[in-house]
Amino acid sequence: MRTISSKSKTLNTTGILFILPAVLIVILLLIYPILSSMYVSFTSKHLIRPRYSWVWFDNFKFVLTNADFYIAFLNSIKWTIYSIAGQLVTGFLAALALNRIPKYSGFFRTLLIIPWAFPAIVIAFSWKWILNDVYGFLPNSLTQLGLTHLNINFLADPAFVFGTAVFINVWFGAPLFMVNILSALKTIPSDQYEAAVMDGATSLQSFWFITVRHIRGVIGLLLVLRTIWIFNNFDLLYLLTGGGPSDLTTTLPIFAYKTGWGMKQLGIASAITVILLLFLLGICLLYFRLLNKWEREDR
Amino acid sequence: MNNVGQSKLNIAVMYVFLSLLSLIAVFPLIWIILSSFKTSGEMANHPLAMLPKQFTFEYYSRVLHNLHFTTNIKNSLIVSLSATLVTIVVSALAAYGIVRFFPKAGKKMTKLLITTYMFPPILLAVPYSIIIIKIGLVNTWTGLVITYLSFSIPYAIWMLIGFFQTVPLEIEEAAHVDGAGKIRVFLQIVLPTVSPGVVATAIYTFINTWNEFLFALLLINTSEKMPISVALYSLTGSEILDWGEMMAASVIVIVPSIIFFMLIQKKIAGGLSDGSVK
Repeated sequence: MRTISSKSKTLNTTGILFILPAVLIVILLLIYPILSSMYVSFTSKHLIRPRYSWVWFDNFKFVLTNADFYIAFLNSIKWTIYSIAGQLVTGFLAALALNRIPKYSGFFRTLLIIPWAFPAIVIAFSWKWILNDVYGFLPNSLTQLGLTHLNINFLADPAFVFGTAVFINVWFGAPLFMVNILSALKTIPSDQYEAAVMDGATSLQSFWFITVRHIRGVIGLLLVLRTIWIFNNFDLLYLLTGGGPSDLTTTLPIFAYKTGWGMKQLGIASAITVILLLFLLGICLLYFRLLNKWEREDR
Repeated sequence: MNNVGQSKLNIAVMYVFLSLLSLIAVFPLIWIILSSFKTSGEMANHPLAMLPKQFTFEYYSRVLHNLHFTTNIKNSLIVSLSATLVTIVVSALAAYGIVRFFPKAGKKMTKLLITTYMFPPILLAVPYSIIIIKIGLVNTWTGLVITYLSFSIPYAIWMLIGFFQTVPLEIEEAAHVDGAGKIRVFLQIVLPTVSPGVVATAIYTFINTWNEFLFALLLINTSEKMPISVALYSLTGSEILDWGEMMAASVIVIVPSIIFFMLIQKKIAGGLSDGSVK
């Protein structure tokens, strides 16, 4: 009895030593800054001026009574929902096709994941160049084909800017969905489809009851991670549009950046980011509840 | 017979669909490469021409020599390699520790790691810029590397947990019977077994740190210290944009990313479906 307990003790000490550096870093680089951010959100902290004071809920009041905040919030939600939907549908269709074709699937897969490797700044440069209203390939092509009279300025025209940004985000993010869905599709045992055909299932039925059923866990998790990522994303949209024209593409992170570094109001910027985090926490709890329900059903 | 014909048609439709999609996926890369070799007159007068009429290397030489991008590339290499090294050492230890010693609590921990993924970089940016100034690391690579660990370590641990889970316990037990210590078992037996996974994680970390923009923008303020992503952004500061330079610089930044990505593309797939998160 004694030997077992002392053995498990050494086991745990070694285990703790293995994870200790990571735990310390997570506390120092994530937990502490979050708490400090919450503290700053209750102060009048300025980017340059050293003096600041505790202002209770003034920053939150200011933010929550500011029309610009709600515009940015709505933009964030639209940006996330449209982008996620586009990425999921494109990635899913591509994965299904790659899984079906008899030849060259490796070749297509390699080409299709290229956007994933693009840094945000290069995404911005290359698309701004392709879409440039004077020299750009696409606006000139459309005019040449007679589809437009004048070159469209896709990233400055209020009618097009949001859709264009979403399209570029789908272009960038669909490969991640594709790759993960494809590897999930490969884990589905093929005898299930054969059995379904024997039972007289239509292809739509076997798609729904076998394919979707098998990979919904992976899709659910992808949706959680990508919702967070897209909602939080700053650089892609900021570098593409700078939040403009006239705040049409200002999402919450861009709004926070403009407040904190443009207007130098770090306290208010912190309040915005704290609200952002709380909102995401709520969304994630909902997602996880759904995922747990699916997991229980699968058992 | 009808069925066979229909499935053949389906396959053909899939090939057409994939070809179109691939074209859209690859077009920006091809277009910036082609544009980077065109003269400015050609870019202005023939916006639809595919191939450059006369190849020019002028933009590349301007970007590398006059704009000193070689310095920025060196900076990015130093920052990204340091961040990757620290990340891999810390994360490999942690991932192994979680898989071997705390498998039960590990499930909760991985969920917690996903939660840290939720912290908006812009949320961390406020305290980071305050703290980094306070400890005197503003405009230093050390400061930048520290902030990069905040997103690279949770992700690397998460990826590595999936790889370590594939190592069968029996191998380790056999080694323990032979009298090898825990650290030795980890270094000499476990680590070599998962080395392809470790390499893939390292490359993924490298790409992510190489591409990072926000923290570098906020924490580095002189061009000699700037990593390449922010140096590229600084090209947009002038009144008249030099698209040729921007394209050449973009090609220089993206080529290493794409090559590395191709190397690990098989490994980054399927992290989610291997069950490392459930």
